[in-house]
Amino acid sequence: MSKKIFTIIVVSVVLLSLSWIIVTPTLFPIVQAKTDTAAVHKGFQAPDFTLQTPDGQSISLSDYEGRPVLVFLWASWCSICKRTMPGLQSIYEEFAPEGFELLAINTSFQDSLTNAISYFESQGYTYTMLLDQDGSLSRDYQLHAVPLSVLVGPEGEVIDVIIGSGMSEAYLRAKLTDIYGERD
Amino acid sequence: MFPMINIGPLSIQAAGFILIASLFIGLWTTTYFSKNLGTNGNLIENSILLGLIAGLITARVGFILQNPSALAGNLLAMFSLTPSMLNPSFGIFVGSLTAFIFAQKKHLPLWPSLDTLTPLFIFLFAGKHLSNFAIGNGYGLPTEFPWGIQLWNETRHPVNLYALILVAIYLLWMIIHTKVFKTTGFLRSGTLLNLSLGVVGLITLLTRAFVAEKSLIGRFDIWQLLGFTLLMLGIALIYKKRYQVHKHIPVFISVGSNHNHERNLTEAIKKLKDFSKLRGISHTYKSKDVQKESDPTFFYNKVIEIDTSLSYNELRSRLKSIEVDLGREPGNKVQVPIDLDILTYDNDAFFNQGKQIPDPNLIKYNYIAIPLKELAPDFRHPASGISIEDIIDQLTDNQKIQILKEVENGFEA
Repeated sequence: MSKKIFTIIVVSVVLLSLSWIIVTPTLFPIVQAKTDTAAVHKGFQAPDFTLQTPDGQSISLSDYEGRPVLVFLWASWCSICKRTMPGLQSIYEEFAPEGFELLAINTSFQDSLTNAISYFESQGYTYTMLLDQDGSLSRDYQLHAVPLSVLVGPEGEVIDVIIGSGMSEAYLRAKLTDIYGERD
Repeated sequence: MFPMINIGPLSIQAAGFILIASLFIGLWTTTYFSKNLGTNGNLIENSILLGLIAGLITARVGFILQNPSALAGNLLAMFSLTPSMLNPSFGIFVGSLTAFIFAQKKHLPLWPSLDTLTPLFIFLFAGKHLSNFAIGNGYGLPTEFPWGIQLWNETRHPVNLYALILVAIYLLWMIIHTKVFKTTGFLRSGTLLNLSLGVVGLITLLTRAFVAEKSLIGRFDIWQLLGFTLLMLGIALIYKKRYQVHKHIPVFISVGSNHNHERNLTEAIKKLKDFSKLRGISHTYKSKDVQKESDPTFFYNKVIEIDTSLSYNELRSRLKSIEVDLGREPGNKVQVPIDLDILTYDNDAFFNQGKQIPDPNLIKYNYIAIPLKELAPDFRHPASGISIEDIIDQLTDNQKIQILKEVENGFEA
């Protein structure tokens, strides 16, 4: 390629790129849709739900407005879930006094309810157990695999979505420390 | 969106799987490419591996430094396998730096090695977009175009698909241009990588416009500006190598003759001086004809180093005409008045019109390697970075070639 053709191509590409970057803010303004759109993805509003505890008490996500909530979807046959849950208990004990709430939602539509309840009680977990009996919450939260952890901030916004073992005790402590600020 | 890939009873996280798969495909292509370019595949692979390990460790350390509270409950969490506790940018930075320093220490030639890494770079870029597409990261602005995709409760621009289509077109062009990774397709090393840098920058600045979540500097998206920087960098590097006038390009040439060698060698060197500066000239070495072992004729060889401003193709045709002037008949292998072969051209590695540079004979034959060592004891192979001593140690044709005799005063009495 001769120097002349090279120069012509380069100059046109650079000029077009520059104009594209300059018109981008006008042509494609940022739409701040996050706060009013519900979706299970970082930055969006966490979809609200109302589920029942094994005792039949109704609990909604919106009950905890102003407090961070971990929505944790699990099943009693899921070994990763059962490896994760004791760690969640220690974090719950540590941060519950500051207002942190943990909703352990059993995906009851694909689990044995007796197994799930007896497992949860035998382990002495003190956080809230909820039942997704008809799978509607799992659909809303686009459940592809358990465990699914959705950390919801005080404003109801999704802070993090983690499928699988990534929601560990250490990671959750780091995230909550972020929210509450360094404590002594 | 397909955050999980289900293979029978196995459920795999799509994002991680796609990234690892693209790393694997990229590494595999790079190894294949390296064999064809004559670069040092083993060392390049080792640098990448070292970089990956260093990157993973520092990504974890980076996360812990940012979130020291993570270790409050249990110090062993430092070693947990959870992928969420990583600081990717810190890991990528330290990982690349480690690989770079290791490569420098091992004398890996910069540009030929980077050319070799180009497929890996492109596959990882494509892999990142595919994994983003799988988990709905880097999602687009709402759109009414018919090809919008349903994501996060809106019909949106499939930004990652736009990028994937563009990178697929470029990859296709690259596969054709490099003749399926046989050659870089360019005369100067580094051009393929620099072009790819520019293209990746261009794709980024084009597609980022459609992304919903932007990180702004003033009015502009930081990724668009980074893309533009990458584009300019690629262009500048290509220009510098290809179009800037280079006055002193070092070239090693092997000169050989089996007929009236005394006159022909002297004549050839005289003619070379007409258009280049002679920087060094070895003694004459006598060897049996490589082509015909039974043949009693001998070859007389020298290696010379010149400084030239000619491009490779110009230089090659000048050498051709010297050969013709001194009576070389194409096809006549019995009587060779003069044979001029470019061994290396600058520090470039390429194929051109059936010729490979650096000349593969350089690592095959004594009659080239030994005079070359005499002339340039610190010589390193421009593509693989192997020292001339190691090249001579690794010559495989020791049996075929009779011992080479250095002739005093240049010519045999």
